[in-house]
Amino acid sequence: MFSLNSIAAFVDAWLNSTFSPATALAFQFIIIGLLAISLFAVLGLVLVLMERKVSAYMQIRLGPNRVGPKGSLQTVADTLKLVSKEGLTPAGADKFLFNLAPFIVMIAAMMLLAPIAFARDFQLWDINIGVLYITSVSSMAVIGILIAGWSSNNKYSLLGAMRSGAQIVSYELSAGLSVITIVLLAGSLSISEIIHSQADGWWIFKGHIPALISFVIFIIAVTAETNRAPFDLAEAESELTAGFHTEYSGMKFALFFLAEYINIFIVCAIGSILFLGGWMPFHIGNWAAFNHIMDYIPSSLWFFGKTFFLIFVIMWFRWTFPRLRIDQLLNLEWKYLLPIGMINLLLAAAVAIGGWHF
Amino acid sequence: MTLTVFYLLSALSVFSGLMVVLSRKAVHSVLYLVFCFFTIAGHYLMLNAQFLAAVHVIVYAGAIMVLFLFVIMMLNLNLAAEAQKTPWIKISAVILSGLMLLVLVASVKGAEELSAAQPQNDIGLVKNIGNILFDKYLLPFELISLLLLSAMVGAVLMGRKEPQPQNE
Amino acid sequence: MTDLILLKHELLLTALLLIFILMKLGKDISNSSFLKMSNALLLINFIIGFFGNQHGQMFASMFQTNELMALQKNMLNGGLLLISLSSSRWLNNHIHLPEFFMLIVATLLGMFFMISSNNLLVFYLALELATIPLAALCSFDLDKRQSSEAGMKMIMSSAFASGILLMGISLVYGVTGTLAFTEMSSLIASDHLTVFALILLFAGFAFKLSVVPFHLWTADVYEGSPVAVTSYLSVISKGAMVFVFTSVLYQVFKPMQEVMYQLIYIGAVLSMTIGNLFAMRQQNIKRFLAFSSIAQVGFILTGISGFSHTGAASATFFILVYVFSNMAAFAVAGIVSSAIGRETIDDYKGFYRTNPFLSWVLAIALFSLAGIPPTAGFFGKFFLLSAGAAKGNYVLITIAALNMIISLYYYLRIVRAMFMDKNETPIGSVNLSFNERAAIIICIAGILISGIWNGPFHTIHHSVTEAFSITPF
Repeated sequence: MFSLNSIAAFVDAWLNSTFSPATALAFQFIIIGLLAISLFAVLGLVLVLMERKVSAYMQIRLGPNRVGPKGSLQTVADTLKLVSKEGLTPAGADKFLFNLAPFIVMIAAMMLLAPIAFARDFQLWDINIGVLYITSVSSMAVIGILIAGWSSNNKYSLLGAMRSGAQIVSYELSAGLSVITIVLLAGSLSISEIIHSQADGWWIFKGHIPALISFVIFIIAVTAETNRAPFDLAEAESELTAGFHTEYSGMKFALFFLAEYINIFIVCAIGSILFLGGWMPFHIGNWAAFNHIMDYIPSSLWFFGKTFFLIFVIMWFRWTFPRLRIDQLLNLEWKYLLPIGMINLLLAAAVAIGGWHF
Repeated sequence: MTLTVFYLLSALSVFSGLMVVLSRKAVHSVLYLVFCFFTIAGHYLMLNAQFLAAVHVIVYAGAIMVLFLFVIMMLNLNLAAEAQKTPWIKISAVILSGLMLLVLVASVKGAEELSAAQPQNDIGLVKNIGNILFDKYLLPFELISLLLLSAMVGAVLMGRKEPQPQNE
Repeated sequence: MTDLILLKHELLLTALLLIFILMKLGKDISNSSFLKMSNALLLINFIIGFFGNQHGQMFASMFQTNELMALQKNMLNGGLLLISLSSSRWLNNHIHLPEFFMLIVATLLGMFFMISSNNLLVFYLALELATIPLAALCSFDLDKRQSSEAGMKMIMSSAFASGILLMGISLVYGVTGTLAFTEMSSLIASDHLTVFALILLFAGFAFKLSVVPFHLWTADVYEGSPVAVTSYLSVISKGAMVFVFTSVLYQVFKPMQEVMYQLIYIGAVLSMTIGNLFAMRQQNIKRFLAFSSIAQVGFILTGISGFSHTGAASATFFILVYVFSNMAAFAVAGIVSSAIGRETIDDYKGFYRTNPFLSWVLAIALFSLAGIPPTAGFFGKFFLLSAGAAKGNYVLITIAALNMIISLYYYLRIVRAMFMDKNETPIGSVNLSFNERAAIIICIAGILISGIWNGPFHTIHHSVTEAFSITPF
């Protein structure tokens, strides 16, 4: 069957038969790098357009509709505009760090792609602690944001970076706890094993109460972690102009902007892997016929479908809830989500030990 | 190959450790420290302790260093606020630490005949760490929980300052 | 587990810790009833400590206990009870009373684990547990800048000491490949690296014991902290360190006695001399007691340097005496400080006119600290010096004896100020509460009884001999 996995296997075989192993490996690195960058570019274009279209739909208006058919090339035009702009560096800024910050944020986002399985057996690096790897790498992004805010030498940037950092660090706890719930149920930290454990049903169904609670916590926490409305205090326009990237312009701004959307994609991909089975088709217990029909839908479609569904949910939040105040934001995390998450972890441990999941 | 990576990582971690001390700006020091932690995580990876490496990055680079950055950025330290030290203090500090280094190097020199520890290949994996942590090292583990609890009480107490009631 | 009885002291303290937290979380209790309850709990804890003590090891022999350690823990428990009683006036007016007890019990728990540790990892963690809450306690006078400064200095200096200690521990681990005391002692050879590691470990210990030249934090921290915490620092924290020092030294570093002797010799001479010389010119009574406690550590080191069962026993006995004497002195200083708010030595001029009872108490305590018979301090120092003399280094003993004479001068200076000097504005008469009176009477009784009747020393000597013959020595 035609699948991403077979293409990858074919390319690998061809490279290895044509070149020496070392050269083949080098070529593979290059191909992967190119693929990652082009995935980023495409995702950026698609997600920004999607955001604008979804928000237009929510507000009963049309959204971008001039460039290309139904406005589909609008983001391409935006990108061209950003590329042609001059990248300014403020006079009092710490030049090196100022220019480094967007790259740190981007590199952190790129490294997160490594353990994600896009389709059946189509995964860059099946590291045995995949989930922890994701948590640890995503914590790097905070440093990039803080550096950006500090090196801009601007009060608004610094405040925005501080808010953003506090928010990310505190919500990371809840996200981590809800991830651990699934790790407990699945009994592994490796992404591929977690996906394979969902062959007879996704964890959100199999794990019933604990999995549902942790799914809700996860969605709230990652919305906050990606600094999106209703948790977008870090870049509250009316208070801080634009948060930590106030001073950035041109391509450096574009990198931040892109990283933001890539991060949304990645957290939704992780959510879909942990709770919705990743590329695993929708299977119900031992209904052989039904499961067989579901298997005909390509696994990459399943993965992207679930991920984009979660992205849609997060965009939906933006136009549904008003922005929180900073104290409400921290109260929500430390007084509600974190205790609930901890109790839920105990519940999940009980469920996992008792084998009370399906 | 492994040896090359080891030397590279070690050189980087020593370099970044030095830069932590030598940087003029506090924020740069913290960033070099973050970098140093990453290189140490690399060392863990080379020892096949992926779990330790990931936790090291999460805890140190992700959480503790972010708090460091927070505090330093809030304090807005600049060079003018740096305490002035007399040349005598600087000279004596240099002499003392030089002597310390000399003694350390001299005493390490005799350590060549020490037997190296036998590498255990899977000691750093999650399962083994969990087993050893909750079995052999149960007491230290529980002690840490008490330590963190009391440190938290102390920190909350010091952080939340309210005036004492004036009943005298 | 059937051998949980071995953990009795620690479990009791952990239970107390949790009770104090729950009491804080529960409904508001007035300070005086909380104080009554906590004193009762501490008393129960103290009494239970005497029963059913056994010896043995737990947790893959990371934890060990024996009758000597139980005795030492009981002494510390009693010291905590005395502090709680004698500083009830200050505690009664403090809004964070439950936190005080919670933190102080946490540090004591750390000290217990430190005493019982049989592994450098447990030892280090217990040391941190004993130190970090203490820093919070030092800054417990939340509205005083000096107190915050004391907390800051405490945490900085102890972090530095921990760093040195950790480096020593890692070198020891590198050399021997183990962290367990019992395995380590057989693997230790006196090559250069081990000697260096030993010096680093000694420096870490010396910081906590405030041995000169690692004493620089002591005076400031003692002065800034509330008196209750100062007495805790100078008596209990120091006592626990001495206990650990003797047991680690006598068990682990037995093969390196010669190097260790040199270190202790230097530390003892410097501590005695410099502590005394600085104590002479202090005006603040807390600073004065700080330097006098540095000098006392010098005497303790003299006793330890004997490397014999008598050395360990005399150090332990001296701590018992020191608990009573120093606690009595601090109780008076604390009562005066929290009732009147005055802390300098000049304020004590004419103290006898207004407060004859407290003057006598302070006088007896200072006599005991100076080592004047028939108070217990005399016998404490006598045993220390005779244990040190067994090694045959009479230079050390002569210096110690000279220092005892110097110390007489400044201890008696305060006595003279109280009894003989005139003062226009003497400290007003202070009414003692029941708790304070009880604490003071226990201290004085302890000083006199253990001075006239040497029973405790022989008990301790017996249990030291027994304890060190159980563990490989």
